[in-house]
Amino acid sequence: MSEIQDPNASQQLGLADASGLSNQRSQKPPDPVPTMHRGLPYILDDLGTETSRKQLQTARSVLKYVNDSRVPTLDKTTHIDFLIEPLEDGLSRGFTGLDASRPWLLYWCINALALLGVDVGGYNERVVSSLKPLQHKDGGFGGGNGQAPHMASAYAAILTLVVTSYYESRDLPKDRWMGVYARSFGWIDRQKLLDWIRKTKLRNGGFKVNEGGEEDVRASYCALVILALLGYDEDELRGDVSRDEKPLLDGLLDYFKRCQTWEGGIGAKQHSEAHGGYAFCVLSALCLLGEPQDVLTKYLDLDQFISWLSARQYAPEGGFSGRTNKLVDGCYSTWVGGCWSLVEAAANGIESSGTGFDIDSNVGSLWNRKALARYILACCQDPHGGLRDKPGMRPDYYHSNYVLLGLSAAQNYYYYDNAMSLPSSIENSPFKHGFCWKSSRNVPKPSTSEGIGGGWEEGLVSNERSRVGTQHPLFNIPLHAVAEIQEWWGVAKGAEIL
Amino acid sequence: MASYSSEEEEEEELDYTNDPVWADVTPLPQDDGHNPLAQIAYSPEYTIAMSYLRAIMAANDHSPRVLNLTSDIIGMNAAHYTVWGYRFKTLMSLDRSQTLEDEKIGWSWRQELEWVQSIAKRYEKNYQIWHHRQLIIDHLDDPTGERAVTGEMFALDSKNYHVWTYRQWLVQRFQLFDEEELAATASLLEEDVRNNSAWNHRYFIVLGRLGEAGPEEGVVERESELAKEAISKAPQNPSAWNYLKAVLRKGGIELATLKPFCESFAPILSPDEIKSSHALDILSEIYDEAGDSVKAEKALELLASKFDPVRKNYWRYRRRLLGSKPTPASDTPTIQATA
Ligand SMILES: [Zn+2]
Repeated sequence: MSEIQDPNASQQLGLADASGLSNQRSQKPPDPVPTMHRGLPYILDDLGTETSRKQLQTARSVLKYVNDSRVPTLDKTTHIDFLIEPLEDGLSRGFTGLDASRPWLLYWCINALALLGVDVGGYNERVVSSLKPLQHKDGGFGGGNGQAPHMASAYAAILTLVVTSYYESRDLPKDRWMGVYARSFGWIDRQKLLDWIRKTKLRNGGFKVNEGGEEDVRASYCALVILALLGYDEDELRGDVSRDEKPLLDGLLDYFKRCQTWEGGIGAKQHSEAHGGYAFCVLSALCLLGEPQDVLTKYLDLDQFISWLSARQYAPEGGFSGRTNKLVDGCYSTWVGGCWSLVEAAANGIESSGTGFDIDSNVGSLWNRKALARYILACCQDPHGGLRDKPGMRPDYYHSNYVLLGLSAAQNYYYYDNAMSLPSSIENSPFKHGFCWKSSRNVPKPSTSEGIGGGWEEGLVSNERSRVGTQHPLFNIPLHAVAEIQEWWGVAKGAEIL
Repeated sequence: MASYSSEEEEEEELDYTNDPVWADVTPLPQDDGHNPLAQIAYSPEYTIAMSYLRAIMAANDHSPRVLNLTSDIIGMNAAHYTVWGYRFKTLMSLDRSQTLEDEKIGWSWRQELEWVQSIAKRYEKNYQIWHHRQLIIDHLDDPTGERAVTGEMFALDSKNYHVWTYRQWLVQRFQLFDEEELAATASLLEEDVRNNSAWNHRYFIVLGRLGEAGPEEGVVERESELAKEAISKAPQNPSAWNYLKAVLRKGGIELATLKPFCESFAPILSPDEIKSSHALDILSEIYDEAGDSVKAEKALELLASKFDPVRKNYWRYRRRLLGSKPTPASDTPTIQATA
């Protein structure tokens, strides 16, 4: 298993398994509110502009929620109801604006349910039948039946399939396990999908979202995730010279490098403003193509990136903003929060020269996990179910998924294990580094004021009922689902099913 | 034939089933698969329009009526990238056969652009609208009036990412690195000195576009003065500080030259007089580079304990890294200033 073994770990795990949690909870007085959540920031400029007025208004409204020693628990039941309803009962005409994003709806709701501990395996068959009409005759997936293929549609479709097939198959004997995966993935025309992705490749090394569509790093990240999760190997990506094909990933790393901005953050494409969403795309994409401490230092100015990333967390709110001088928003819990796992892995790789996990040389948590958890639990839960951007905003399926994913990033330590033994089927994968991630409930303690690390951070999850599932830091789906799909491609290729 | 759906005419509903214009088309229903999840209960109007679109697309029909059909659907779902894409192909096909500016279809590129702008104002967060506009302007090879169009959008939201992406494309495509562009960023910063998108655009047009090349003489001085002035107005504004640092980096000027400026905003021996956490941040770097670890530590500890406590772990990580950086002389590549 992927847990780090130490005395604290078993203690915490024991706690998770214990019944009568509410008992134990009532005995413990709530921790006092940290000073940073009790008032406005220490320095406020006199000059008021639209930006500062909006910021002040948000800080004041959020203060009412975060300045309370009783941090709410995660109300899983109402959130689960909120997320099951659209899947089972469908959506009203008010959602017509999402008609070109049908796979997204499935992914957001189903992955969020998995995060909340729901066994979503029962949806697998219906996921397959819902997605089949979206496969385009010339390859790829559209946002709905008859729609043109789109990178984001294929991305969300594949993620959903990987999640539900994992849940449906996880307790089955090998032959039936194979049956589930064959049924879930056998109908995808991998060759045509690859041919279609080739048509979106740009001369500058990046990708566009579809033929005739826009270019941004989101398209490149989605393309890599699709290729990694559908088991394409080096030979397939190299291309067929007789068809005048070039290696599909040529120029991509340097393309990403050009997207780092003067601020240290990363934009949608060269010269675009640094933005949390695009930063996540590039960091994850880089980590799919190499070891964090290599790729994040070779293709980024990591120190500048970390400085920009760190500046995304605000007090008193505790949450993240997506850009400089913009407001906090719950969905950046994933886009910014997710970057931290990758950045910490790189920082640790540099410190310990990549010799696996050593708590004493660990740089520790570089960000404020508790503050984010407080923002999420106190501000992002709608009392009627679902999660949201901030108080006063309506909850939606997108925010539900990405707020919960961000909570998972705050509660767990996701780390890169370069000593991990990989099945031989992955050895020939250009994305093998993406399969070396593990999780632990124990989070290395931040450095002390003397700048020294060591030990575990305590009290990250003050109530076990607020704990969400572990996710893969690059793919944003349940961690173990990733190993399973990889195993499937090994089996499928070995058995020449393909 | 009815004209092609501008705002006013939208009220006039399209009647696909009875209008003879559509009589030759057999609508193609949507296949949602068996027992689908998260089905959308479309309005009857949307369902019908979409089934005509599917039929039209299957026949690869790019006749003028497609403009009616696609604007009808976009009015109900502006994020429908397939419909936008098909509309653009149709416009191009009509353009090629020289029917687009023809009196009898009553539609032109100009009208298309106006219609697109009306949609853009209704749906501010949308990728497709601006991409569509980009394709058209690229084809027309004429940026006249386009800066004003983005200006209208900035009046609604001066940080709209899609609009800024379009503006950058426009500037690059038509080489608009001119006084007007510089003045536009200055005026947005005048309105709100914290508008980070405007700072970003300014960096792009002044320095970012240069790539590896160095800036012209006087540019670095001008831009750092601009940033310093902005900082004096609002010392806790991160955009201006970041800009200042970036300008110096691009100009190959050492950070240490900022020491007196930063110390005027953050005297670490009189914490009560500190007006900017960003000045403290830069000072810790400057002190570290100068080998003054005591002061560097002090600056970082002030940030961790008082001025930016939510980032305490980061400031302590920085403390951990003190003294580990190579000296600036050996580290910073010297960027050649043009003579
Ligand atoms: Zn959001």
